[in-house]
Amino acid sequence: MSKVVVALILALCVLHHDLWWWDSAKPIVFGFLPIGLAWHTGISVAAAFAWWLAVKYCWPARLEEGDS
Amino acid sequence: MTFGIILGYIALLLFLGIFAARLLKKSSGDYFLASRSIGSFMLLMSIFGTTMTAFALVGSTGRAFEKGIGVYGLMASWSGIIHSACFFLIGARVWELGKKHGYVTQLSFFRDRYRSDLLPLLLFPVIVGFVIIYILMGVVGSGRVIEALTPETFAEQDARTEVVVSAPPTNLTIPASWGDRLSFDAGTNTLTLKGSIHPKRRGELFGMVDRPPAPTWKKAVGELINKAPRGAVPYAAGMGLICLVVLIYVFLGGMRATAWANTFQTLVFMVMGVVAFLVITGKLGGATAATEKLLASDAAERATRGGDQIHKLQFLTYCFIPLSVAMFPHLFQHWLTAKRASNFKLTVVAHPLCIAITWVPCILLGIWAAAELPAGRDPNSVLGVMVAKHSTEVLSGLIGAGILAAIMSSMDSQFLCLGSLFTNDIVVRYGRHFGLGEVNDRTKVIFGRVFVFLAVAVTLLIGLSNPGGVFPMGVWCFTGFASLFPVVFAAIYWKRANKWGAMASVVTVAALWLWFLDDALTGEFLIADMMPVTFLLAASSVAMVAGSLLTPPPPPDLQEKFFPSKKA
Repeated sequence: MSKVVVALILALCVLHHDLWWWDSAKPIVFGFLPIGLAWHTGISVAAAFAWWLAVKYCWPARLEEGDS
Repeated sequence: MTFGIILGYIALLLFLGIFAARLLKKSSGDYFLASRSIGSFMLLMSIFGTTMTAFALVGSTGRAFEKGIGVYGLMASWSGIIHSACFFLIGARVWELGKKHGYVTQLSFFRDRYRSDLLPLLLFPVIVGFVIIYILMGVVGSGRVIEALTPETFAEQDARTEVVVSAPPTNLTIPASWGDRLSFDAGTNTLTLKGSIHPKRRGELFGMVDRPPAPTWKKAVGELINKAPRGAVPYAAGMGLICLVVLIYVFLGGMRATAWANTFQTLVFMVMGVVAFLVITGKLGGATAATEKLLASDAAERATRGGDQIHKLQFLTYCFIPLSVAMFPHLFQHWLTAKRASNFKLTVVAHPLCIAITWVPCILLGIWAAAELPAGRDPNSVLGVMVAKHSTEVLSGLIGAGILAAIMSSMDSQFLCLGSLFTNDIVVRYGRHFGLGEVNDRTKVIFGRVFVFLAVAVTLLIGLSNPGGVFPMGVWCFTGFASLFPVVFAAIYWKRANKWGAMASVVTVAALWLWFLDDALTGEFLIADMMPVTFLLAASSVAMVAGSLLTPPPPPDLQEKFFPSKKA
């Protein structure tokens, strides 16, 4: 699972550089969000999901032991 | 009214600080670290509130006004990925080491890890310098926001402003509610205003003549509003007030009051940010209409990253800026306040979402403002002007309180951290050389307060010179912190890293940061279209690696302390 999480976070870093919508405002998402801004809002939501996977499956056992 | 609401919010905050102070245990451990007792939600709120400052609200709106939607990708979405990585990989590990070895400050950790007294002495002025610039951003932002939001707070009855109207207005009727504030001399065609005026009264003045108002009348009204005093709370007074409030609650309640105030203020600025967005959006005719108006305007490019707004390499290399959170000394101290390591989990996951909730509305307001306000306006005033223009006085006050909450929720941690660094890393370590002897808890807290007071006084003096934009100042400050990232990363993950590498890294960063300071603060500063942090970070990394490999490795007992063998 650790490898999946790392791959997901690296994929987000690559997808962050969305050159394909660089010069375009359209399509306008939900009628008001220019596509570039909508895409990056999606990156933020996806980052939260990726980090949720990270803390669920990759949290160091040593830290859990320290807590208990 | 607006200023009254802001004062009411400040009073509430002081009450919270005093209440937290009653719970303060009389020890320096509680004053500086809240006895390591902070739970998940408060940790999230205090860490998020600390990372979001004038830079996030005032700076992001102003920058989007100038540079369009790409500002979100530059800072916010990169931060969602990188900040959480820092909390996960560095924050939780630092907490573990801090709990095990009793660290109170970032410098005490570096002193122990690198076993060097010289390294903290080198780092102290560098870190304090960067923090002062960080505080300066908040101080300047608060002064400008209060000034923009409080026109007509003072009547300034002695002031008289006269404007000659080039053609007599048709059927001019001055409502009785204006009293003798406004008069028109038909003989000389002179319009005279007594006292201050809110720019929002432009519509009232237009309505005093036959519709539609003649261009000569509109021009005269515009001239009158520009020339007349605004009667706002002066910039310097706004700065001083905010510093004083934060000083009071930090002095009274230390880290416990700071964590409580941060939680409260983070909730306030998130809620008020959304309220401001909804109210302004409503006044603009809805989000769809506002975007359509932008796309039909000369500023349509703001809905893209095209033209010369943002370079592609700049966009890519901005990813290094959020690494700065790993080296913020005030965040380091917040990490140490957690009750247990698992309390970091909520922060790691929710931080990107909190960023989106705060930044998306600000970016939209910034690009919509580009279709509303003339180009070339001071970017730092854009949010304040949009709020003042499109909301009632009550809402302006509440939203203003929200903006100030964001600013103060960073300043408090920074004030406290300066006090901790000076007390724990300078006074306690070197006080004996100046005849101080053993420093007790009470003396530690007093020294911390005195140093913070002096640092704030210096910051206010710099702030009085009305330095440039909040955004360039913030970026250069973050560049410095981010470039020191190798020092903390190597401390935790590279066994071979030693004090010589760390010191080489610090000296390299300090030298390059000062070398480029003028260029960085006078406008957008790129090197080969890339963010300068790319080169500073590369140089710092090379210095760290070369410095460590070319000198003897850390002694075995030090390596064992921080990288225990599996057998042990």
